[in-house]
Amino acid sequence: MRRRAGVLGVLAILVVLALLVPQLGGDYYVHIFALVFTNVILAASLRPSLTCGQLNIGHSAFMSIGAYTSALLAKNLAVPFELSLLGGAVLATLVGVVIGYPSLRLRGVYFAMVTVAFVEVIRLIAQLWVSLTRGMSGLSGIPKPNLLGMTLTTKASQYYLGLALMLIVLLILWKLEKSRLGLIWKSIGMADNLAQSLGVDIARHKLLAFMLGCFFAGVAGAFYAHFIRFLFPPEFGFLMATNILVYNYVGGRGHFVGAIVGAIFLSLLSEPFRGSPYETIFFSIAMLLTILFLPGGLITLPEKLAGLRRWRAAAAPTPSPAA
Amino acid sequence: MTLALLVQSAIIGMSLGSIYILMALGLTLMFGMMHIINFAHGAVYMLGAFVIYYVFFQGGAPYFAAFVVAMIVLGIFGYLVERSIYRPIRGGIEPTLVALLALTTFLQAAGYPVFGQLDKHVPPVFPGTRTILGVGISIERLMIIPIAGALVVGLYLFINRTRLGAAMRAIEQDKEAAALQGVNVNVVNGLAFAIGFALAAASGALMAPIFKLDPMMGEQPLLKAFIIIILGGLGSIPGAILGGLMLGLIDSIVATALGAEPAFLLSFVFIILLLLFRPTGLFGYAP
Repeated sequence: MRRRAGVLGVLAILVVLALLVPQLGGDYYVHIFALVFTNVILAASLRPSLTCGQLNIGHSAFMSIGAYTSALLAKNLAVPFELSLLGGAVLATLVGVVIGYPSLRLRGVYFAMVTVAFVEVIRLIAQLWVSLTRGMSGLSGIPKPNLLGMTLTTKASQYYLGLALMLIVLLILWKLEKSRLGLIWKSIGMADNLAQSLGVDIARHKLLAFMLGCFFAGVAGAFYAHFIRFLFPPEFGFLMATNILVYNYVGGRGHFVGAIVGAIFLSLLSEPFRGSPYETIFFSIAMLLTILFLPGGLITLPEKLAGLRRWRAAAAPTPSPAA
Repeated sequence: MTLALLVQSAIIGMSLGSIYILMALGLTLMFGMMHIINFAHGAVYMLGAFVIYYVFFQGGAPYFAAFVVAMIVLGIFGYLVERSIYRPIRGGIEPTLVALLALTTFLQAAGYPVFGQLDKHVPPVFPGTRTILGVGISIERLMIIPIAGALVVGLYLFINRTRLGAAMRAIEQDKEAAALQGVNVNVVNGLAFAIGFALAAASGALMAPIFKLDPMMGEQPLLKAFIIIILGGLGSIPGAILGGLMLGLIDSIVATALGAEPAFLLSFVFIILLLLFRPTGLFGYAP
């Protein structure tokens, strides 16, 4: 009970801090943290699939679908943000079903390979369908988010929109993970044949987990589109897809907060070299070191350190009774 | 499309297909034994091409010497990757895949500061064209077919006629049983990594004089190799060969008619449909 109160206290402090960012920091911090929120949504939305043991290396493709759909709906048809966001997320989910249904019935590696190839497919479509997406010139002039009849003109108001979206998505995903459905996903990830023998329809549940991920990746994409207001096909490539995986692994796969910790920690730490090859080098090294030396991710670091201290204490020379 | 153009695309398709086969064979071999997909395969292809650039073009060594250097150096690199990444993770398929993914992005990104931002070009090794059935084909592309063919035959003989090859097949059938019979599973897995990497390096080395060189050049052939092994069936060597030839031909003929990107999109649609109706690929066995 006390632990629960402590966790809620930390959460409350974090939310208050997040609310204060626009007041305390300038536009620079508002921009950076709004992008961090997008990354947190992306990382957390990959969790259901990962929990089922499915390696989705194409998450950025679904973000791209959400981003382009929402941007085009708002720009060409003046659809308000709440509907264009939904449109983007729903389309991302539908496309997810089309590629997930055939590949999720098979071994995990098929799904992994299909998703990698799919990133390239979406990038090419965004690049080649020039009449719709402007191709490699990039889609610009995306309207600012128009929510419930109000246009959010300031960066700060858009920042709050991102924060709210992130909190809602996290709450939904957290509730799902704690529900019976989350337990089923976990059982599939641990031993799918055992889960199947207990009557779990594993293909359906894997697909459901994947669809949820696609939906929220679409949400992240829609927010990103109206916040940055410029979309460029190669941005949503293989690198972004691997980064989303890296957030999960470096943060830690064992607990829901892992994805959040990973996304915040890595996005902030890689900020100085964003867009340069050093960003990717940093991410890859962080990933390799984590997998080899801290397989449970950053969230297991306190435990590891405590264990190390205990081990040191135990190994300290004690006077032998014989002496 | 005229007949001449068709013949030309068919021959170019065969030579592209040979490269795809070399890539896919290593992938399928490693999958068969260790149940992992080597995402770093494309990055190794890229490194193979850059070895040719530095050893052959900059260093002035004969092309075939540079070719052998690329295969040996990257083969050793493959063995080291097995030692330092695959073996420590010990059988965890998902973490291994993610680690290989990280290795890939590392090699690609590190390529920019190391090799420079600008695209590199390697001058032709076999200049000139040859007329076949009335159409001119560059000798450069033609030469790929026998060289890749020799490597494929060599690999086939190695797997089927040598003790080490038998050990590989044994691991593929049953790792524990192979270990009980005295097969050193670690060393043989390392060898599979070395062979896979050397074949990917060979593909890159063969393509170096034809395409421009940049750190991301391996991504396309990697995706093609994925499509081939899904097409042919994971773990199947005949499937990889037939799938590679098919994709090479589709790629070249469709690409001539419609462009390279639609050819890729079409092959993706094709494998999704294939997975719907024949999930184990054309030659795959049920997992």
